[in-house]
Amino acid sequence: MANFSRRGALRAGLATAAALALTAGAQAADPIKVGVTITQSPPGSVVQGTQVKDGLDVAAKIINDAGGVDGRKIELVIEDTQGLPEKARAAVEKLITRDKVVAITGEHQSSAALAGIEVAHRYKIPYINTNGWSDVIREKGYPEVFNPGNYNSRVGSAAAATMKELGAKRVLSFAENTDYGIGLAKAIGEALKKIAPDIEYKYETLDRASKDFLPAILPLRANPPDAIINLMLPPAAYIMMNQVYEQGVAPSAKTWLYDGSGLADYPDFWQNVKEAGKGMLVFGLYHPKMAQPPLGKEVGDAYTAKTKNEPNRLLFQAADSLFLIADAIKRAKSTEPEAIIKALGETKYTGTRGEITFAKDKGFAFNQWLEVPYVTFQMTEVNQKVGDSALVSQPGQPIDKSKLWKPAK
Amino acid sequence: MSAIDVDLAVNGFITGLFYALMAVGLSLIFGILKIVNFAHGEFYMVGAYAYTLVALALGVPVWVALPFAFLVGAALGWATERTLMRPLYAGYTSWGLMRDEYAVIVTFGLSLFLINLVDKVIGPYAYRGPPLVETSRVVLGPVLISGHRLLAAGIAIAVILATAALIKWSFWGQQIRAVSQNRLGASLAGIDTAKASAIVFMLSGGLAAFAGALLSPVINASPDVGIFPAVKSYIIVVLGGMGSVPGAIVASLLLGVIESFGAVYLSYQYRDAFGLILLMLFLLFRPQGLFGEKGREV
Repeated sequence: MANFSRRGALRAGLATAAALALTAGAQAADPIKVGVTITQSPPGSVVQGTQVKDGLDVAAKIINDAGGVDGRKIELVIEDTQGLPEKARAAVEKLITRDKVVAITGEHQSSAALAGIEVAHRYKIPYINTNGWSDVIREKGYPEVFNPGNYNSRVGSAAAATMKELGAKRVLSFAENTDYGIGLAKAIGEALKKIAPDIEYKYETLDRASKDFLPAILPLRANPPDAIINLMLPPAAYIMMNQVYEQGVAPSAKTWLYDGSGLADYPDFWQNVKEAGKGMLVFGLYHPKMAQPPLGKEVGDAYTAKTKNEPNRLLFQAADSLFLIADAIKRAKSTEPEAIIKALGETKYTGTRGEITFAKDKGFAFNQWLEVPYVTFQMTEVNQKVGDSALVSQPGQPIDKSKLWKPAK
Repeated sequence: MSAIDVDLAVNGFITGLFYALMAVGLSLIFGILKIVNFAHGEFYMVGAYAYTLVALALGVPVWVALPFAFLVGAALGWATERTLMRPLYAGYTSWGLMRDEYAVIVTFGLSLFLINLVDKVIGPYAYRGPPLVETSRVVLGPVLISGHRLLAAGIAIAVILATAALIKWSFWGQQIRAVSQNRLGASLAGIDTAKASAIVFMLSGGLAAFAGALLSPVINASPDVGIFPAVKSYIIVVLGGMGSVPGAIVASLLLGVIESFGAVYLSYQYRDAFGLILLMLFLLFRPQGLFGEKGREV
């Protein structure tokens, strides 16, 4: 009996070891599923969704070609939100409960992100917000939500500083009627109150589905402001710009046009605006003349080889989102959500745009990479590539007024 | 009248003309089939793309691309009527047997299909159509307007008048009006009601596509470009009187001017609500609309 037991125990031990080895082998081969919510069909911004998907695809390929994360490949599970909060909420729920993803990323519209983070928070699943700028996303204080992308307060400060440097006295923002647009318009107002209280500021909310903004523009002709700030996304932004230009309001000798929405690197920008874009000042999160870490160059080159397009800001933001998840899993040595969240909180990672760390202050700074680099550049010719535009301020530097161009009329 | 008021009146009138191009077709369809075509905005979108892509990609002159867009819209309207709408009135013997819910589902489905088809085949990017004239600014007294917008307004007036004349005096126009008044009676009098329906769908599709083409340098073609003007058209058709072409034209101009002034003197935020407020007032106090007739069914 004792002999049998020893032999039995030996067999059982061998069998268990074999089973464990097999399981470990299978686990090593199993991909790590990362959930992605983006807009792939209207009414949300499909252009942004496409750029984010490209960035995630490039990053996933770089990670997987280098052997994956601890030998496991990254697999992206993509859901289309149409930019709608209710669809984003359902998409995150499905990714977590049915697809069993270890983290969620990709969201590029604030309204959809605000809906998605509620679900991620409920299930305690890490959520990397790729491009939701609304400060409210951070102000919720959810420990699962990390923000390596840009944020409204950052644009608010940048726009306010630019208006002050330009010597503007009256400034008007045209903001789309979304969490993003209205939040950003308010953030600019707050920043102006702090650094340039003498500037008279107001914002007009425009419906992003509308095609005619003339009733909002016509009254400006008699007394144009010193600067108009665009806080709308395409295609509504293009229509507004064309109508502002056709009415002779901006860009003009009197009025600057400042873009706070990163329009200039959209592939369809010039086809849609032509003369209306000449002279536009741009808050830019990417410019080819900006200094970038080697990973940024690698991602940009891979993207250009794949699509034949110039890199854009969303490409890098999306790539960084996935690199951060991979880095956190590697450091945590686990795909358990709790371990990934802990590792993300301790992030110190040099991505495509610089060294990323997350602040812990309450409010808009919570789990936010505060030092997102930005520049100001000006489109001085029709059909000009971003790389050929006039870089009028480097990250952290004031505007070089000698480089500014203004129309004669 | 101040300079800004003249500006607002002219701009509102022109916007109303563009609304009318869309609304007339929708009104015709309702008049003859008693259904609301939820894919009407997508006919507009197809026209905007047809004009823009043919002109930009193939280098076709804009004056050829414009009627081409009308033909594409008319062909789409005809195909829609033949393949999707015929079951609506197949075996029709009285108004009571019209399958209204079928029309709602099928046109709504067609709308989603066309939006997503264009999104996947052509892509999500917006395309600005080439203007009919390159003059970016024309000064007319206190009014500053783009050359294209001015010319498009003139063309819109001509097309609306031609459509009204066609409905009023042409042989097929008279048949369409007969079917609109009493489908059963018209068929008993020997009128081919199916053919009349097909012509109405072609005309409606053509007009919507023509509007999209004419406005593509202003509105920039994108997959969802038709949604907003379609919503306006639904409001206009009710305001003007369901199925009334003159009513649709007057209501379009009225809405364009009210929105223009209301946006400046009341609130821009509520600009799109003015039409809905008007709609509610009409439904409460004049449900038959401006030119509609009170109906009663037993």
